[in-house]
Amino acid sequence: MADTSASPVREAAGVMQGSPLAAGIKGRRRLLRDTPAALILIAPVIVLFAIAVIYPLVETIRLSFWDIQGLRKPAFIGFGNYARLFADAAFRNTLLTTLIFTIGTTVISVAIGWVLAMLCAFAPQQTLPFRVMIFAAFGISEAVSGYMWIGIYRPDAGGLLNSLIQLLGFPGFAHAWLGDANTALWALIVAASWSGVGLPLMLIFAAIQAIPKSVLEAAYMDGAKPLSTMRHIMMPLSMPGVRVAVFINLLSALRAFDIIYILTGGGPVRSTETVGYFMYRESMTQFKLGYGAAATVILLLAVLIISIPAIIQRTAGAK
Amino acid sequence: MIGKAPRWIIVVVGIVAFIWVIPIMGIVVTSLRPPEGVSLGWWRFDHFDLTLDAWRRVWDKYPLADSMWVTMKTAGIATALTMLLTPAAAYAFHFLTFPFRRVLLIIIINAFVLPQQVVIIPLFTLWRDMGLIDNILSVLIPYVGLSFAWSIFLVKNFFEDFPRELVEAAKIDGCGPLATFRHVVLPNSLSPIFAVGILQFLWTWNALLLPMLFLRSDVPLPVLLARISGSYEINWDLRSVAAILTTIVPLLVFLVFQRQFAAGSQTRTGAKE
Repeated sequence: MADTSASPVREAAGVMQGSPLAAGIKGRRRLLRDTPAALILIAPVIVLFAIAVIYPLVETIRLSFWDIQGLRKPAFIGFGNYARLFADAAFRNTLLTTLIFTIGTTVISVAIGWVLAMLCAFAPQQTLPFRVMIFAAFGISEAVSGYMWIGIYRPDAGGLLNSLIQLLGFPGFAHAWLGDANTALWALIVAASWSGVGLPLMLIFAAIQAIPKSVLEAAYMDGAKPLSTMRHIMMPLSMPGVRVAVFINLLSALRAFDIIYILTGGGPVRSTETVGYFMYRESMTQFKLGYGAAATVILLLAVLIISIPAIIQRTAGAK
Repeated sequence: MIGKAPRWIIVVVGIVAFIWVIPIMGIVVTSLRPPEGVSLGWWRFDHFDLTLDAWRRVWDKYPLADSMWVTMKTAGIATALTMLLTPAAAYAFHFLTFPFRRVLLIIIINAFVLPQQVVIIPLFTLWRDMGLIDNILSVLIPYVGLSFAWSIFLVKNFFEDFPRELVEAAKIDGCGPLATFRHVVLPNSLSPIFAVGILQFLWTWNALLLPMLFLRSDVPLPVLLARISGSYEINWDLRSVAAILTTIVPLLVFLVFQRQFAAGSQTRTGAKE
């Protein structure tokens, strides 16, 4: 926006800072003058951040090396919790569930959002109300959207899905969607994807709107049909928006808790427990704090691995 | 866009959008029909009559009004605190020099990747030992503390484009760092501060996990909804009213401010296109 290097103030400062020595002295003076004010301004943030983020982070990692169960005396067991986790069939199943849930939810919601965004780009005005309708699902609290989907999956006559199947003439396909370990995870993925489409739609639509008009005009002049414009121009040029959307949806699916808690509670027979839910169950309902902490560290590692590009980008941008 | 929009595109998007609002229509219609109509299916119109009965009874059956007050209080205070503390810190990080500035900044803005599951075990034992379970502070502190990761990043990003001449001019006129912040920077950065406020309000209003663990007697709406939808009573109409009341405020805020929301989400990841 403003070209600060050209300001007279900067030029004057530049003259004064002729030698590196002078610059060093000036920098130190500025440091001494700024520090008290800076401390006043950031002190509350540092305190709250330390209590709410740094302490729990360090403490979770520390606890993961301890055997803490209920009121028993804590004992240091090194990597014992981790060894137990990977020997635990329930946890190994949880890893698989997390993988299916995270990838399934992300792929479905980003794919639908992407296609819709490209379609909407051909008629931005006429599809505006439809975009808002789809985006609205994203603004609904997870607890409420979980409740809405219970109404769709419930096995009695009031369940929308089963009634629809009956109406279409396939009564044999009616099912206790959330009550069967084979279908519960996919029912959960569909519900989570329903609320997850809004953000990719919005982000990718914005990315497509940013494509220079001349590019699309040229394609139109050359007689490109909507589908080939989508395939050859919009798809490659919308990639930045897609990357952001994939990243956000991956992170939120990995951490998912609310919707699982409301829809299935991790069941039936722990078939819908992701790591984010497993840690809650072990630590908060079974009181195995060390064991739950170790599962949290695994979740943390997964999140960190996915976030490495974003972390590098942010760190480089922090001036 | 370019040329005439093909009609089939509008039809396809319209059908998808219609499918998308069916779950929402479901609870709205359920909340307006008597229980007999609901047990057959809310979409069946053979004996269709509407009633506000559930909307009246729900207040006696569940402690909805109390929960609503708790939700407003926690979300309101958490949002106000974040809107107050974030700009001050973002200003210090962007315009002032002080020891460990860069290290602190990098730690704070990268904490956005942490899942909230990381904080629950240590904070649970800490609050228990300090007797803070069931105290509003037990959720306010993590709400506000966790928000800095993305809120400071968002406001500091805005400062990248803030004209430095204004800050330098204030300095020449004899303004100290605090006065510069108060009189020059703060009045000119209301839009990112409100964007931060909206995001924080939505997040704290909809929060389930932290209040479920740290609050026992007075719980916010999402926790109350989780409790009543886990019970086995057949009262779909009442529960639907509770669900609508839980989400109506954030949904309206969300729809009104959706532009800021999308912009905020983009900034949250640190992506620069």
